[in-house]
Amino acid sequence: MTTWQSALHGVRTSGDYFLSTFIFGVMFGITAAAIGIENWHAMLMSASVFTASGQFAALEFWQAPLPFGTIALSVALVSSRNLLLGMAMTHHFDGHSLRRRIVWLFMLNDPGVVNSFRMDDDVDRLGYVTGYGVSMMTSWLCSTFIGLNAAHWFAAMDLGAVDFAGPLVMATMMMLFFKGSKSRPTPWIVAGVVALVLFELGAADYLILLGSVFAGMGVSIVQVRRAYG
Amino acid sequence: MVEANATLAAIAMIAVIVYLTRITGYFIGLQLRHIRGIQPVLEALPGCAFMAILAPAVRQGSVSEIVAMTCVVLIMWRSNNVVIATATGMAVLLLGGPYLDAG
Repeated sequence: MTTWQSALHGVRTSGDYFLSTFIFGVMFGITAAAIGIENWHAMLMSASVFTASGQFAALEFWQAPLPFGTIALSVALVSSRNLLLGMAMTHHFDGHSLRRRIVWLFMLNDPGVVNSFRMDDDVDRLGYVTGYGVSMMTSWLCSTFIGLNAAHWFAAMDLGAVDFAGPLVMATMMMLFFKGSKSRPTPWIVAGVVALVLFELGAADYLILLGSVFAGMGVSIVQVRRAYG
Repeated sequence: MVEANATLAAIAMIAVIVYLTRITGYFIGLQLRHIRGIQPVLEALPGCAFMAILAPAVRQGSVSEIVAMTCVVLIMWRSNNVVIATATGMAVLLLGGPYLDAG
């Protein structure tokens, strides 16, 4: 399958997460309007940043004067999982020029990466993830626009319950990982247990993330060593 | 009200930070790829990050959130249908929340 065919395949298979991304985009538009960000600024943010969690994290601190350092730190922390997504794709973006990889990595997105692992070997992963990303971006921009322009309708509604939508969508991706994995899910189970322990100990969010990832990585290394004898 | 210039500067800063997180991991991976057996280790990392976010969220979740999460997991386990799973979870949150969390 060529790169462009793979990109189209990414677009075609992105319907599920197109809808869930749409919900988040509408919520982002509503929140941005409520905070007082101008519509074109919010659209510019969605187009140039393209990450729900990072944009919501930034809005938490959006007040004059803007606390640039705090915003930078919080965005970096919530976006840190992109580091891991990028690392996971290391062996899958071969065969493309460095320039193309650098430019197309802008479209790196969680569901695209998760679903790419379930594709046949002949699917070009960079094309697939990028096509998936184009679809996500389309959903994200359209829904942000709708949220911004429909914000006044939702002003009286309590949308607090929707805060948990993020973990729900993440759970769907985790289940795709569990069911599609060729290896045992022990690293993820250990990562979850370590996250719970650190949470109970009152550790900061970034320490929970670091501790869980390192624990999962350690278990994965042990698995690999056993497999290689 | 935040000034327009400050807003544009903040958006540019956020965009650069997020893009750097996207490319940095990939290039770190390229430096490590010569290590024998590293591929499954790298591919396990995103799932670990998801679990690091999911486990505490469920632990501190309300009754409706835990029920919603259970529904999502079960539906995904049975059908792999993201739309139905997410819609069911959201329905539990929005419709069942007032009743399940009342106590």
